[in-house]
Amino acid sequence: MGETVMRRKGLYRSVAFLAIAGLIAGACGGDDDSAPADTPSEEAEAPADEPAEEPAVEAGDVAEGDVDTAIEEEESTVAYGGSISVGLEAEATGLRPWEDTCSSPCYNMMISVFDKLIEMDVNGNYVPYLAESLTSNEDFTVWTMTLRGDVTFHNGVELTAQSIADMFPIQQAGAAGSSAIAAANLVSVEATGDLEVTYTLSEGGSAFPATLSRAPVGFVFEPAAAAADSEGFSMAPVGTGPFVIDSRDLDNETTFVRNDSYWATDPDGNALPYLDSISFRPIPDEGTRLDALLSGTVNAMQTLRQGTIRDARNARDEDGADITLYEFQGNNVGGGMYNVLVPPFDDVRVRRALTHMNSQEQVIEALGGTGISLPGTQWFSPDSPWWSEKVAEAWPKFDFEGGVAILTEYVNDPERSDGKAVGESIDVELSCPPDPTLIASMQVVEQLYTASGLVNVTMTNYDQQTHIGIALGGENGFVGNHQQHCWRWSSDDDPSVNLTPALAPPTAEIAEAIGLPGVVSPLNFSNWFSPTAFQAAVAATKTDDFATRYGLYESIMLEFADQVPVYYSGHTATAIGTESNVLGLNSWHVPSGELGIGFPNAEGRWAEVFISS
Amino acid sequence: MASIWLFLVFFGAIYAKIDTGLLGGSLPLQNPNFQTNGFDPATSTFGSGEPIAGVSTAHWLGTDAIARDTFARIVHGGWVSLVVVVVSAGCGIIIGGFLGSLVGFVRGRTETIVMASVDVILAFPALVLLLALVSIFEVRNLFVISAVIGVLSIPAYTRVARANSLAVSSREFVTAARAIGTKPSRILFREVIPNVLPTLLAYAMVAAAFVVVVEGSLSFLGLSVQLPTATWGNMINQARRDIKINVAQVIWPSLALSITVLSLNQVGDFFQQRREVRGSNL
Repeated sequence: MGETVMRRKGLYRSVAFLAIAGLIAGACGGDDDSAPADTPSEEAEAPADEPAEEPAVEAGDVAEGDVDTAIEEEESTVAYGGSISVGLEAEATGLRPWEDTCSSPCYNMMISVFDKLIEMDVNGNYVPYLAESLTSNEDFTVWTMTLRGDVTFHNGVELTAQSIADMFPIQQAGAAGSSAIAAANLVSVEATGDLEVTYTLSEGGSAFPATLSRAPVGFVFEPAAAAADSEGFSMAPVGTGPFVIDSRDLDNETTFVRNDSYWATDPDGNALPYLDSISFRPIPDEGTRLDALLSGTVNAMQTLRQGTIRDARNARDEDGADITLYEFQGNNVGGGMYNVLVPPFDDVRVRRALTHMNSQEQVIEALGGTGISLPGTQWFSPDSPWWSEKVAEAWPKFDFEGGVAILTEYVNDPERSDGKAVGESIDVELSCPPDPTLIASMQVVEQLYTASGLVNVTMTNYDQQTHIGIALGGENGFVGNHQQHCWRWSSDDDPSVNLTPALAPPTAEIAEAIGLPGVVSPLNFSNWFSPTAFQAAVAATKTDDFATRYGLYESIMLEFADQVPVYYSGHTATAIGTESNVLGLNSWHVPSGELGIGFPNAEGRWAEVFISS
Repeated sequence: MASIWLFLVFFGAIYAKIDTGLLGGSLPLQNPNFQTNGFDPATSTFGSGEPIAGVSTAHWLGTDAIARDTFARIVHGGWVSLVVVVVSAGCGIIIGGFLGSLVGFVRGRTETIVMASVDVILAFPALVLLLALVSIFEVRNLFVISAVIGVLSIPAYTRVARANSLAVSSREFVTAARAIGTKPSRILFREVIPNVLPTLLAYAMVAAAFVVVVEGSLSFLGLSVQLPTATWGNMINQARRDIKINVAQVIWPSLALSITVLSLNQVGDFFQQRREVRGSNL
């Protein structure tokens, strides 16, 4: 028993550490650096028996207005040769996986030059990529990976298990790598054979394959080249990927050329990649980037803005632009939170009432996402295997009269928590960053609240950094100074990555009250704490049984629907637009021959992209 | 033409303020914050207004992203510009004008200290300093914004007033006043300041154009008055997202801003020319 308690406390502390480390990423919209979510499997190379596929298909099928582009085998005949240029929303912060915090634009570049150890297939399973297999012991503390043989880095060095082991100290010292390693509780990486690598974790985590599918730990780089010149590596990265760096002109253009000795082939055995070269050009302005595609200045472009998706659709459908849009609806969902430690939001009646009075449809329209962004009811999009219809039904829908009735009950309660006189309106400070779309959406909410006659709304806008700082509340014990605060929730990573820290004790007082003194999660921004939800989140990291995990996360989401510490607008839509003769983005494969996940978060896999004749 | 435009903006702003402030929106100008597609609790239905709509008889300049009347918002937006201009000119003329006139008249160490301080403040990029000051305030209402811009206007007025005060203080009538033993304070208020004031008023027109742009910049950056108050800057900011769908929603407030700035410059130039003529006649 004592041993169990010790282990749990250790886990809680690791949660707190993860929370602090993750702050840099910025929970408010900082979900670019995230991986698709799914159940990790004890044997990643054998996902056949997983129940993950069934819920995934069901969820997608029942979702109304699903706008994702289908992942399907390409029917056109592939062709070798040619070059394409891709417009990105920003320059990569760097091309060192262990050091540079990578977001969507950066991933497009990195994925061209580095391979991942683990990838995600079309069904949402984590499957081996540069690895050949990945297995764990019973308590998920030791993971054994076998690498693919006959793989060489771009500089001719052979990939071995020692390469992976040598990467580890570099990753530990890196800004991005150190936090990812800490979050995964990874303590050692050893070469236990020529191609066998053993990962040891201080606390078992069933979601560890997710760690091997993302940049800091999962992207394979040549350790000797990285150690020799860390700064220079960003300009001349060396990986095992389909393309080799050719030139890098910062803020202008980075060009990669075909890796003639690339190990992967398409399902027909044809060598990859198909393209001779690929260039990436940062074009920060959304309109300019779309215009660049429409004018042929670039052959493809990415966007993470629904307004741009709308404009691209208009260009295609109304102006006849010869482009293809590959759209993706991720788990990341907009919305906000109520600070439950601040009256009147400490009363669930107020939270429920405000949520009932908030029209998702109107808000999504104001965000420019009608027909593009699906309304959110939970931390998972309808295409996610974690999506729950039960939660979707339980989520408080727009019901203005119902909301007014609940709020009236609170307002007329002599014991109301905000200390105001009976019958007085509640005060709500609604705050969003000063983005035009968010400004429009908050004015819609303000109009609805004001129409009730029971709410005095003050709207504020602060820059993103201040906005996060207000919610963080470092100066007041992480209570924060926010009330109703715009925020983004979830990511396409394993649910544990975002949910566990968001459910941990938000303040020292609460932590002490539940017998975990000193364990505080700054990432519990709404300050809502439920022992049952937190226990469920912790339990979900202790099993790899999808059905069990699904049930645990569903129970958490149902508690969210009941207690409403957060609210949602729509899921984040992303897209890659290409000229219509640029094909293959939605039909790349993992080594087993299964189709890959596609283009989540506007991150393309460019090895199987080709120019159709 | 410039005067007519400024009169229209001034009249429109006052009219809009009276309408919303005193008459509860009974005059024939739409509520600038009313979302025509919004929820009506009385009928439990959403309105049928079209967001980002074009010009129509119902909405002379169309509607914005949340279906509010753009014409009404432009008219109301003029009020913010008007208040900021008046307050900044008031602060500048009263405080800056007095300070400049005083140091230009008394000279000596007082002048050195005051003008050194003025130079230090003017050495900062105005917009950057303004952003820093505005960011300090958690609540950004019209009073705060006007006060901050007004305070930052003082150094420029001080410099203009001091230059004119130097010139006026060396004129014959001031020398004569000193010679007959008039008290310095009386000379300052009766001889110097009245002769500095016309120049300051002419300068105020030109400075007003700058202030309108500054307020527009703050609004564009989301740092001016709080929502849902309409300002030309926040209208431009909010409409830019839909520029590919309806560019007019960016153009209308931009035009209002541009024509107002141009008009203020024109009127300011006119007054300055008149002032030069009058000065040369002295």
